[in-house]
Amino acid sequence: MDTGEAPAQRPVTLDITVEDVNKDAPGPPQPDSSETPSRDSVLPQEDSIDLGGEFATPQEDSSATPSESLMDKLNDQMMESVMISDSPNNSEENDVAPIDSFLDGGEEESGGETSGDKEEQLETGQNTTEIKVSVEEQDMDGSEEKVEEDTKKQADTQEEDTARVSPQGDTQSPSDLKNEEPAAQSASGTSPKEEPVPVCTIFSHGTQPKSLVPDGFQPTLIKSPSFSMGSGGGSDEAVTPSKLTAPLVCQPSPSLSKFFTDNGQTNPASDFFDSFTTPSSFISVSNPNAEIPSGASPAPIAPTPDRQLSSTSSSISTAGGSLDSGTPTPSTVFCPAPTDSTAKPQPPLPQMVPAPAQAPASAPTTHPQPFNQLQAVFSGNDDPFATALSLSEVDRRHDAWLPSEETRKMLISVATQQYSPAYIESNRLTMPGLKFDNLQGDAVKDLMLRFLGEQAAMKRQVLTANSVEQSFTGLKQLVTSKNWRAAVDLTGRLLTAHGQGYGKTGQPTSHTTDSLQLWFVRLALLTKLNLFQNAELELEPFGNLDHPDLYYEYYPTVYPGRRGSMVPFSMRLLHAELPQYLAKPQEALDRLHNLKTVCLVILENLEKGLAEDGSMITLTQENRQASLKLWQSRLSRVMYSMANCLLLMKDYVLAVETYHSIIQYEPQQRVQLLSGIGRIFLQIGDVKTAERYFQDVEKACQMKGSQSSHTTCMLMNRAFVYLSQNNYAEAHASFTEVLKIDPKNPVANNNAAVCLLYLGRLKESLGQLEGLVQQDPALYLHESVLFNLTTMYELESSRSTQKKQALLEAVACREGDSFNTQCLKLV
Amino acid sequence: MDVNQAKQEHLLALKVMRLTKPTLFTNLPVTCEDRDLPGDLFGQLMREDPSTIKGAETLMLGEMLTLPQNFGNIFLGETFSSYISVHNDSNQVVKDILVKADLQTSSQRLNLSASNSAVAELKPECCIDDVIHHEVKEIGTHILVCAVSYTTQYGEKLYFRKFFKFQVLKPLDVKTKFYNAESDLSSVTDEVFLEAQIQNITTSPMFMEKVSLEPSMMYNVTELNIVTCGDQGESTFGKMSYLQPMDTRQYLYCLKPKPEYAEKAGVIKGVTVIGKLDIVWKTNLGERGRLQTSQLQRMAPGYGDIRLSLEVIPDTVNLEEPFDIICKITNCSERTMDLVLEMCNTRSIHWCGVSGRQLGKLSPGAFLSLPLTLLSSVQGLQSISGLRLTDTFLKRTYEYDDIAQVCVVCPYTSNES
Repeated sequence: MDTGEAPAQRPVTLDITVEDVNKDAPGPPQPDSSETPSRDSVLPQEDSIDLGGEFATPQEDSSATPSESLMDKLNDQMMESVMISDSPNNSEENDVAPIDSFLDGGEEESGGETSGDKEEQLETGQNTTEIKVSVEEQDMDGSEEKVEEDTKKQADTQEEDTARVSPQGDTQSPSDLKNEEPAAQSASGTSPKEEPVPVCTIFSHGTQPKSLVPDGFQPTLIKSPSFSMGSGGGSDEAVTPSKLTAPLVCQPSPSLSKFFTDNGQTNPASDFFDSFTTPSSFISVSNPNAEIPSGASPAPIAPTPDRQLSSTSSSISTAGGSLDSGTPTPSTVFCPAPTDSTAKPQPPLPQMVPAPAQAPASAPTTHPQPFNQLQAVFSGNDDPFATALSLSEVDRRHDAWLPSEETRKMLISVATQQYSPAYIESNRLTMPGLKFDNLQGDAVKDLMLRFLGEQAAMKRQVLTANSVEQSFTGLKQLVTSKNWRAAVDLTGRLLTAHGQGYGKTGQPTSHTTDSLQLWFVRLALLTKLNLFQNAELELEPFGNLDHPDLYYEYYPTVYPGRRGSMVPFSMRLLHAELPQYLAKPQEALDRLHNLKTVCLVILENLEKGLAEDGSMITLTQENRQASLKLWQSRLSRVMYSMANCLLLMKDYVLAVETYHSIIQYEPQQRVQLLSGIGRIFLQIGDVKTAERYFQDVEKACQMKGSQSSHTTCMLMNRAFVYLSQNNYAEAHASFTEVLKIDPKNPVANNNAAVCLLYLGRLKESLGQLEGLVQQDPALYLHESVLFNLTTMYELESSRSTQKKQALLEAVACREGDSFNTQCLKLV
Repeated sequence: MDVNQAKQEHLLALKVMRLTKPTLFTNLPVTCEDRDLPGDLFGQLMREDPSTIKGAETLMLGEMLTLPQNFGNIFLGETFSSYISVHNDSNQVVKDILVKADLQTSSQRLNLSASNSAVAELKPECCIDDVIHHEVKEIGTHILVCAVSYTTQYGEKLYFRKFFKFQVLKPLDVKTKFYNAESDLSSVTDEVFLEAQIQNITTSPMFMEKVSLEPSMMYNVTELNIVTCGDQGESTFGKMSYLQPMDTRQYLYCLKPKPEYAEKAGVIKGVTVIGKLDIVWKTNLGERGRLQTSQLQRMAPGYGDIRLSLEVIPDTVNLEEPFDIICKITNCSERTMDLVLEMCNTRSIHWCGVSGRQLGKLSPGAFLSLPLTLLSSVQGLQSISGLRLTDTFLKRTYEYDDIAQVCVVCPYTSNES
């Protein structure tokens, strides 16, 4: 997605003494005196004057280029929202598809409509270009508008979400529903809004894309009316927050899901905004789905039947007969079709026709119907149902989890409707909220402001939460472009829209697959940003991730028949790992051990021929294998975390043992693991044992036949041994040998340079590293390399600051806001 | 360690960096599954990160070397290595540069420069590099003095110095303790056991590569830190021989006097030199340190003129039943003795037989074995005391208390209960 941004700028920033590098890097180790001549010519080039000059000239260009590229980006992005398939996302979407439920029908439509909207947007975009607006304010506008749109959508869809943004767009202040606002108004309102904020003309180009940004969201805006929900829904909502108007309530999601649209295709976010009360939307969804097959991807079809099937199987499977017998669930699930049609005026009517195949079967189920029969019906059906079945399998496989006894009982009673979820004590519920508002910030830019001046800083262009689509797509874009801070902001906004925004901790809310995924992404990014405290704070309301409302069974109407954990496994893992970064490794270990135990029990269940959760479902061989594979990989992932945690604790004995035990799960990683263990021993100082492990590595390599990666690995290990014997010359030779095989190997390059320093060859070492950073910034603008480089600058001369600033410029045009500026040692 | 040169008028800049071993970069794996929202994004980010291990990205310990981040601590026995760089910051050629690096300790001044010859000229932007090494042998303040003298283009002779001060700390705490093999019944061997407690008082784990006792000329030493099973010995400290910060480990050595000294059992008296401990450790990536203790000295047990040891003694005896012991009495003095044995009963131990009996003459170095009978009237662990030997020549009495312990049990208890 962001391919466009870099290339134009690359040459500009990276010339930190070009000649110097070229002469130094290839040159064999020479005494300094021999190098002197080359130095001479370089001299004038190195210092601040030159850098300044070079950067000064391209200024105009660069100001244009990045904005252009940004423009492209934005265009791309917009295109994405229109085009249904985008290669990078495709695969994921298919995977994700099962998650989303009933709402697909609605989305599908919207997807279709977007193209139309698109054009409109473009028009509006052009209109606004003439207006010069300062970036920030522009952004603000954009966000406001988006927010507004959201609220409108929400209003349209009569969802009673708690988190709202004021239509005035002051900021994201939570306010109450704005049902009144017709969607149309907001559409017109956008352009006038932008006009009054003229300020600075620097970004003549910049304005254009910016102004386009808000338009990116217009498709949704325009779409939502198409649901014709606006009028009816609004009134409904005001009147009835009740759960009985089931189909109506469920509709908020389609329009809102636009908000999170994933290319407008299958929408993982679809059930994102099911409100707390969302009742059985089952049929209303199923109908559109039933129709869809003709036109669209199989993905959206799948969920519906799959749910039904899974519901059947699940209720059958549960250990206690209670679930079976009770089955009030299905009754709500299969609510009569009529309601549905009213609810979705536009689509359902035509859809009803193809639907019958499914509907008749479900409709009668107002009375508990033997599920076996249902299953039989479905299994007899053709492709869509087969896919559905397999998807439900996938769901079950991935979501499987073993709740605590207490939670399990509660879930059973919810399922049997012994008491409604609403009456579960609040301390057993998960009520998360953002703990901090805005993280947005860009340390790189701050540094630029400080060292390179405002002008240079203005050139820095990074994606922000405002500059991307307010959706999963935008989120992915931010993550990919390494703008993790912005991505965290975006997750915050999306969560706010879901009613789990700032200050919402402790307030009742409902969870969906997507809200939890958002939380996961947010927490993962915070962790990646080393903001562990923040992550811990926000994880706190989730407790130990075992509250009943974090399981699908808790929402029998929203996720009929779906069972297992809503919390993704990755989030559990993150939750378990987190304390180790906060100096509480023991707690992390405890949690990891819990995860391990669950993994082991599930694996055991599978071995015994049961389903993951120990219920008596018969799995096909294929599914069992897939399940075993998945859970084994999860187990090994947990083991990795444990080993890493132990390593952090410096409990080398256990760490080594654990890493060793991973080999049985991941035999293909044998070489890497044994080498890793060897390095641990080197770290302790036990060179002999390390060598033993490295010998094992060589044996393993020989057994697997010669691959270049293995040779690399062996040479690398040898180099580390030499290093540990204080034999830097040999170590350097080994690293250099790696480079003969794999000239682009960043590790070998960096390590060879480090060895040179220890050999007293500072200039060569510097030359090599500078050359690397210059030639292949993608690989070498890495914390560790930059840290080494700046350290050497400091050692080399008194003018290190200028050189570091040059690095900063290089960083500025490539790296996102998540870049760790500490390694530049500028402050 | 890097001090900015305040006076910028100098054409040359001197920079010093301590070269501790580089460290391996650790990354922070955050992963997700394909079905999660980010899909493969996190995986991709990790694969693209040059510092991860390809094929095993979740392995925390990478391969990327990073330079030392700060001066760190330096400990006695380690090698102090430092990079000294003299850089020509000016735009003129500088001549006759002489860089001298001295290390001033509390007791001496050492020259560490590799060469003491002047460099003829240094062009702008060029460096003189030197890497110095020094094994630190003193605790306390050390000052690295770097002096640079040079001649400018215009023949002006300039000179400046920089001082870098650092503290050398103690890495280990060593305590020793001797045990005399008195209870050894064949006490002729005169074995001595040395227990050495070695504590890591640094802040990083330490791999103990070698902890050996170099005995003095009188002794042979056996290390008791390896349990041999089969042909492979296993360390008593487990598979991994490293010491966490503040951990202590006990090493045990058995010392036997060499035969030529052992014969003169009585000769090993007073203070004897046992030997010294030689300790070699390694830390991060093979950073090596080595220490030797001073000569360990031991006060030989004061046997006095007459040494009394036990050859046979039961460990458990019945209450109020006589039991036998055999004492060995050795004349450690240089003269012949005429000994009289007296036996005094204690509260629990009662001697059987006649007290005040003549044992006859005992020439120097000779010994006699003396079977004795006694009984205990009290249960429990009882100490055997109350033997008196009197040398009638000098009228000197030697008292022997707490010779040994026996456990006295009541044979009936089991029946009663």
